[in-house]
Amino acid sequence: MKVYLGVDVGSVTTKIAGLDENDELVTHTYLPTQGKPIEMTQLGLKQIKQQLPEDVDICGVATTGSARYLAGVIIGADLVKNEITSHAVATLQYTPQVQTIIEIGGQDSKIIIIRDGIITDFGMNTVCAAGTGSFLDHQAARLDMNIEEFSQRALDSSTSVRIAGRCTVFAESDMIHKQQMGHRIEDIVYGLCQALVRNYLNNVGLGKDIKPPIVFQGGVAFNQGIVKALQEELDAEIIVLPHHEVMGAIGVALLAHEEMVNNNNGSKFRGFGISEVKYHTSSFECKACPNQCEIAQLSLDGQVLARWGGRCDRWERSPSS
Amino acid sequence: MRIGMPHMGNTYIPFKALFQRLNVDFVLSPISNRRTLSLGVRHSPEGLCIPFKLTLGNLIEATELGADTLLMPSGYGICRLGYYAMTQEQILHDLGYNNIKVIGVGFSEHKLFGLLKIIKQLSNNAPWIRIISAFRIGLTKLNALDKIERVVQKIRAVELVKGTANKLYAKAVKAIDEADDYNTLKKVETGYINQLKQIDKNPQAQPLIVGITGEFYVLLEPFSNLDVENELGKLGVEVRRRLFISGWTKFSLFLNSLGINEMAKIHKAALPYLKRDIGGDGWESVGEKVLHAKEYDGLIHLAPFTCMPEIVAQNIMPSTKENIPVLTILCDEQTTKTGMLTRLEAFVDLLERKRRARHNNRY
Repeated sequence: MKVYLGVDVGSVTTKIAGLDENDELVTHTYLPTQGKPIEMTQLGLKQIKQQLPEDVDICGVATTGSARYLAGVIIGADLVKNEITSHAVATLQYTPQVQTIIEIGGQDSKIIIIRDGIITDFGMNTVCAAGTGSFLDHQAARLDMNIEEFSQRALDSSTSVRIAGRCTVFAESDMIHKQQMGHRIEDIVYGLCQALVRNYLNNVGLGKDIKPPIVFQGGVAFNQGIVKALQEELDAEIIVLPHHEVMGAIGVALLAHEEMVNNNNGSKFRGFGISEVKYHTSSFECKACPNQCEIAQLSLDGQVLARWGGRCDRWERSPSS
Repeated sequence: MRIGMPHMGNTYIPFKALFQRLNVDFVLSPISNRRTLSLGVRHSPEGLCIPFKLTLGNLIEATELGADTLLMPSGYGICRLGYYAMTQEQILHDLGYNNIKVIGVGFSEHKLFGLLKIIKQLSNNAPWIRIISAFRIGLTKLNALDKIERVVQKIRAVELVKGTANKLYAKAVKAIDEADDYNTLKKVETGYINQLKQIDKNPQAQPLIVGITGEFYVLLEPFSNLDVENELGKLGVEVRRRLFISGWTKFSLFLNSLGINEMAKIHKAALPYLKRDIGGDGWESVGEKVLHAKEYDGLIHLAPFTCMPEIVAQNIMPSTKENIPVLTILCDEQTTKTGMLTRLEAFVDLLERKRRARHNNRY
């Protein structure tokens, strides 16, 4: 069985998807990154291996997500691609008519505008991670609910309570005030969903031409409260695809397939054995010039596999060179 | 008297040449680095922009090295920058550097003669002839630096071995810094430009053309914009930037007073969307998008976080009829490139796919 793997190592979750030769999803996994991108990539691969038959032939691997370069070195990626392109490619595979993709992940949120199957514009949150999954997680934890319960209770709201959405610090104090005034938790939770959506549309969606079909993905698409608030605010149907949480990984697996068909040199995949070895990461400050760059390095058995972080190429080393 | 000043790109080179020729003690602080940033952030009001914080860091570092008279770009009617020199002086006094003087220097405000008068004071009343000659060597160095940089912007996009142009560029900057007379400078300039042009190019390269505009300081200080031009070069993009210090100096010191306004075209282009100067460089940012929409594949718009003029520009840009993709990058205290690289890569992908689609439609 031939399989193409896509690995999406995000700030909060690590996703791996495997596609067969017909681009059908045959395996996938979704894990919390927990600040350990290397270990979680290894663990994810281990799980994927268990789900696949013994005679599997990995024909191509590609990585995406904020740790895409790190993951690419560990796995031996044939292609490293940014999340925006990956998400668009996957969504177009399942919904070819899509014109708008809303993606809200753990630390970033994006909007991708597509016309006639081509990305024509995109936006991403800027210096602040307000209104992303991490904040929702934090608020759910503060209210002592898991995220499923949070999502359910938002739907049980009867009147919405207005929560300041500009900044999550303001939102949090606003929520506490409303809670202490005796508003129902359901209404506060839904009010927060609305604030998040407003914040998203006013920042990430600023000046973007949002047209249906609108596809919503990323981990936050699990949250029915946000889906409902988006639907109300945009007055349009919001499509949430099955496997929306692994769309980035699916997209980059599709790109790996395309890449291997175009350049048939055999995959650089280092094999499932990499789940068992111990990688070592460290960093140091370069003293060669006043820039004082922070150089990060990844090594295996005392041998440096890759270094990055410098403004010049004094230390840069990738596995290919 | 020991002179110090903040960094912005390579501007320290012409100033160093100018002051050394006049036998003024010039203190060269380290180019902006993470320590500069930490110092600046620690001692600045939180809501100020990255240009304030980094330049304050530079001034503190110059003070630590013994500078007592600091020059800080200034001027009225532009933005909060008009208050930076005096605010920074106050902060330095509060830090215990009581005898530090920060002199606000506004090119467009003092004009050529005012600037020369400041130099005369700083140089302990040196004769005019020496001041003019020192000023000229500074300008020559500035012009040489910018000419070379323009070539580097082109070569980075097409070089076969990535990083070759940067290595030569670093050598060229050093050679210009060390050159002492016009002949050597001319030789260094033409020599390096020839070498740069001879770098092996990728025969398949068809670079995308991306304009870069936005706020003055973050455009010209690579530390503040995480070296965005170099990163674009690595992605095979040719960067076009209107703003070069040499050009800007030529106009604000000489040609503007003759009634020649290099911005007239840009302002006119912006008029349907923004009728007046709104401070900073916001008017120009809008104008550049409109003016170059046909010529560029895309535009990168750099803005310091909390910069009012650029935020206004950012909000106007999506609505202009002359449309090219614009990516606004907010520059703040971040020192990792990951987030910016994701956006740049996606932006370049978008431009590439658009170009391919345009191409397919044509045939």
